[in-house]
Amino acid sequence: MIEVIDTGPLNTIQDLGRTGFRDIGVTVSGAMDPLALKVANLLVGNEEGAAGIELQTFPFRVRFGKEVAVAVTGGGNATLDGVAMPPWWVQTAQAGQILEVTPVAGSARGYVAFGGGVDVEPVMGSRSTSLRGAFGGMEGRALRKGDLLPLGDAPVSELAMTGFGVVAPMLEMTSLFPVVEDGTVLIRALPAGEHDLFGADAERFWRQTWKISPQSDRTGYRLAGDPIRPVAPVEMRSHGIVAGVVQVPPAGEPIIQMSDANTAGGYPKIAGIVEADLWRLGQARAGIRVRFVRSSHAEARALDKAMTDYLEDIRATSQMVARALKTIAGH
Amino acid sequence: MTDLNLSDPAVIAAISGALTKAGVDGIEIEHERQKLRIVVEHNGVASVLAPAAGRAQTSLAKAPLAGIFQAVDGTLPRHVAAGENLGFVRVGPILLPVKAAKTGVLIRALAEHNALVGYGDPLFEIELNS
Repeated sequence: MIEVIDTGPLNTIQDLGRTGFRDIGVTVSGAMDPLALKVANLLVGNEEGAAGIELQTFPFRVRFGKEVAVAVTGGGNATLDGVAMPPWWVQTAQAGQILEVTPVAGSARGYVAFGGGVDVEPVMGSRSTSLRGAFGGMEGRALRKGDLLPLGDAPVSELAMTGFGVVAPMLEMTSLFPVVEDGTVLIRALPAGEHDLFGADAERFWRQTWKISPQSDRTGYRLAGDPIRPVAPVEMRSHGIVAGVVQVPPAGEPIIQMSDANTAGGYPKIAGIVEADLWRLGQARAGIRVRFVRSSHAEARALDKAMTDYLEDIRATSQMVARALKTIAGH
Repeated sequence: MTDLNLSDPAVIAAISGALTKAGVDGIEIEHERQKLRIVVEHNGVASVLAPAAGRAQTSLAKAPLAGIFQAVDGTLPRHVAAGENLGFVRVGPILLPVKAAKTGVLIRALAEHNALVGYGDPLFEIELNS
């Protein structure tokens, strides 16, 4: 059990999402930066998809009711009873200790995982909070002061007792995730169904730098820039959409569907973002500039593989290190 | 080595002589609870800077495993608390902490950032508060 003793608004319990129910209008939800949540889970010894806490507002403080491994990744700086934890790190908290998480400059969301995971009742196979649907997670709502969160049972590993961490993905995979010098985030995408209906404006979609507008949240990011419009007005029936789809409403400024994406929409789709780049948008705050880079299915697959390899490397190396330390200690 | 007494003048004289003869600039020896530091000056005379006993005790933070040493920012010397993280040893994507075993003043980093270090290699020297 952990007790929330301080939180801002919009901090929620999330796992990797509620897949398989879009056809009946159920949003997938799940972590906006699934990579950070997966790493946090690996650090505490959970399966990648266990439920943790997504932090969008700070500071956030919890008090521990028992000894448990706790990891903080993504855009969160943590202290345990006032002692700083390095970034992307797991440590063992004792009953009564307080974890405080504050924001990291240049990131939007922090993730906290606990050994055993946050053990709220799953709804349709997931513990993710759907704020718009008001179900899942903690009573379908954001966390608030005084909430008591149940944790699953899990032994604390010796490595988590010592404390250890990982090299952050942007440092470990620098060559795979380019950023241009002025801080513009380069997002790879493939042309989508209605791309060619935009004629010359389609090229302006790729060429210009867009700014993430303040009207952005877990449902979608609105982009600000020179409007783009189809050559002729496009009338479409609503059709299924997923996170990563870039739509262009009549005003001409694109919308990127994010984790709480609508399940259907009727705006023309100009592009689809490759899944491996979605976590970087999840960490991009309002005001950040993004540019779309035309990708390919082959590149998208290669990026997926690199991310899987990074996670597998963490899993295998941490087990190897744990065995080596055990041997040295003479157990 | 078991009978080595670093406070024995004969031992110090013998080591100093050997260093001078070999053209070595100096040596630092830690044996049991004694520590000896000899520096050979350019005129060929050896001077003993750290007598074997009576000086501040030091504690070494050592590599928990073989890997790549990762330094963290921080000025020297500075006060550190027992258990404080001083740097990391990197094994693939994993970072292991190098912790101060005792409270004291961190006086020296003994490895370069990104250097390959072996298990037990001394990485930091902490002067213990007397």
